[in-house]
Amino acid sequence: MNNFVQVFIFGILSGGIYGLVSVGLTLIFGVLKLVNFAHGEFLMLAMYLSYWSFKFFSIDPYAGAILTVILMFCFGYFIYNILMKPILYEPHVVQIFATLALSMILQNVALLFFKADFRNVRTAYSLSVLNIGWFKLSSPNLVAFVIAVAAAISLYIFLKTTDIGKAMRAISQNDRAARLMGINIDIIYMFTYCIGVALVGLAGVVLVPIYSIYPTVGSSFVNPAFVCVVLGGLGSVPGAVLGGLTIGIVESLTGFYIGAEFQQAAYFIVFLIILIIRPQGFFGEKEEII
Amino acid sequence: MFYFYQKVFLRYLIWLAMGFLPFILKSEYYKDCLVLTLLWAGVAMGWNILGGYAGQLSIGHAAFFGMGAYVSTLLYMNYGLSPWIGMLIGGLMAGGFAFLLGLITLRLRGPFFVLATIAFAEVIRISAISWRSLTRGSLGILIPFNLGFWNMIWRGKDAYIWLTLVYMLLVYIVCRTIESRKFGYYLVALRENNPAALALGIDTAKMKARAAFISAFITAIGGSIYAQYIMFVEPSTVFGIMCSVQMSLIAIIGGLGIAGGPIFGAFLLIPLSTFFRGALTKYSGLNGLVYGFVLVFVILFMREGLLPKISELWERWGNIYYNIIKKRKHILDK
Repeated sequence: MNNFVQVFIFGILSGGIYGLVSVGLTLIFGVLKLVNFAHGEFLMLAMYLSYWSFKFFSIDPYAGAILTVILMFCFGYFIYNILMKPILYEPHVVQIFATLALSMILQNVALLFFKADFRNVRTAYSLSVLNIGWFKLSSPNLVAFVIAVAAAISLYIFLKTTDIGKAMRAISQNDRAARLMGINIDIIYMFTYCIGVALVGLAGVVLVPIYSIYPTVGSSFVNPAFVCVVLGGLGSVPGAVLGGLTIGIVESLTGFYIGAEFQQAAYFIVFLIILIIRPQGFFGEKEEII
Repeated sequence: MFYFYQKVFLRYLIWLAMGFLPFILKSEYYKDCLVLTLLWAGVAMGWNILGGYAGQLSIGHAAFFGMGAYVSTLLYMNYGLSPWIGMLIGGLMAGGFAFLLGLITLRLRGPFFVLATIAFAEVIRISAISWRSLTRGSLGILIPFNLGFWNMIWRGKDAYIWLTLVYMLLVYIVCRTIESRKFGYYLVALRENNPAALALGIDTAKMKARAAFISAFITAIGGSIYAQYIMFVEPSTVFGIMCSVQMSLIAIIGGLGIAGGPIFGAFLLIPLSTFFRGALTKYSGLNGLVYGFVLVFVILFMREGLLPKISELWERWGNIYYNIIKKRKHILDK
């Protein structure tokens, strides 16, 4: 029983991380209606950014978080204007393969410049563990979880109360009506994309003390992120977090009770089941089946 | 510029000429490049049936490629069954899976279908790695070098060039046949406007599943040929996402929805990739980087692919030339 709770708690903590990665993705999905296959590569870039600032300027990852997030925001702006804006209204083929191409380019640029070696950031707290009662919680994981939940809650409040947030929600519901109401779609699209990239940048920062950094690290996180997004419903922030927790728990329990190698297969199977049974996820709206 | 029958004649003449290439190319390196190019052209044409004609982009076709490779290899290693037969069995199995997948994912549009195919391929890959008693997991299976036609193993690369040439030719004929029949038009209809196709009475679900079957069958046969050429199968290469992406990349860059498109794409990309992998080893990411940039360029500016763009330019220049000639002749006649 103790084992079960320990594994469950670990699942919740890692689920928080998946949630943080997926929140940016679901925002971009919901507002721009764009599948961002390059999401994992933005995560990887944020991790490298954090790593290099630690290596050259000895800035602790958490301390440099603000800087990294701002840099990722600017990078998102850059990528949006170059690649995303031309493909916004194009058919699915173009969007999918353009973002896929972006992901290939970013991965290989990282491979070219940073080489394939695994890099690690070892700080004072990397290996520290908190003992709560019977159970152990790894501190970086706990910090990541707390930051993830804080970010999700602040994003939710942002979407509900501020004007820009309401504009984003309006566009995700019906972009033509939003345009008719006088909302400047182009600016909001750009802003949403940058916020999405900044969020995944934050996810990268909190992941740095925990995981190794290598050019293809993005793909290990982007696949569960897609599953979380679909699980929670497109464009729904609480859905993404809930989906993340679910995936984290499923993955953790599978890893412990069935076998470590089946962890990845577990969430893919969950994904296929969701797509068959309830494609709109927890909080999504049922779309016309045509 | 060229009349229709001249075009057809030229095409088959080029095929025939390619058959003589083994005698012209002396270097093993170029021969290897040619074998892989022809093989990937065939496999990409198979992908094109589902992705180009039917518009169902699948980034999980490596599942079928690997299935073909593993089934024919395992039947050969464990039961001594000739790969010629094993490849057909692998094809049928992959086709069966694809048919089921097509039926399951029929409600998914656009990006969801892509994600579902990625998920499917990854599940198959992880199963292949975990099911060690069957597939020897990540160790892979090394095929022993027993020469013979029935083993599909030959010394040197010439026979493989002819094998892949025949494969590519057969796949091309299949594609052209589909293109000109009712089935091809149904697929294009359901790609362009699914509701309208349904309204016209086309059973889109069945057509999609059928296209998936044919596509997977062709891809699996390509996988078997690959296994018999490389003589080694392991999950990350034949089931990996890079394999799926390469297939779709060749089809998209060459020409989506056109029979000859992937051939063009393969002849462009595979030699380029082989060159980068070999010549510029100091810069490890250049191979993928070039792929990525070519893809972005093609997808933004020439959406249907390079082959349609080049045909269009060819026609346009041909017309301009023709008009100039006509004007000159008119002046001379006067």
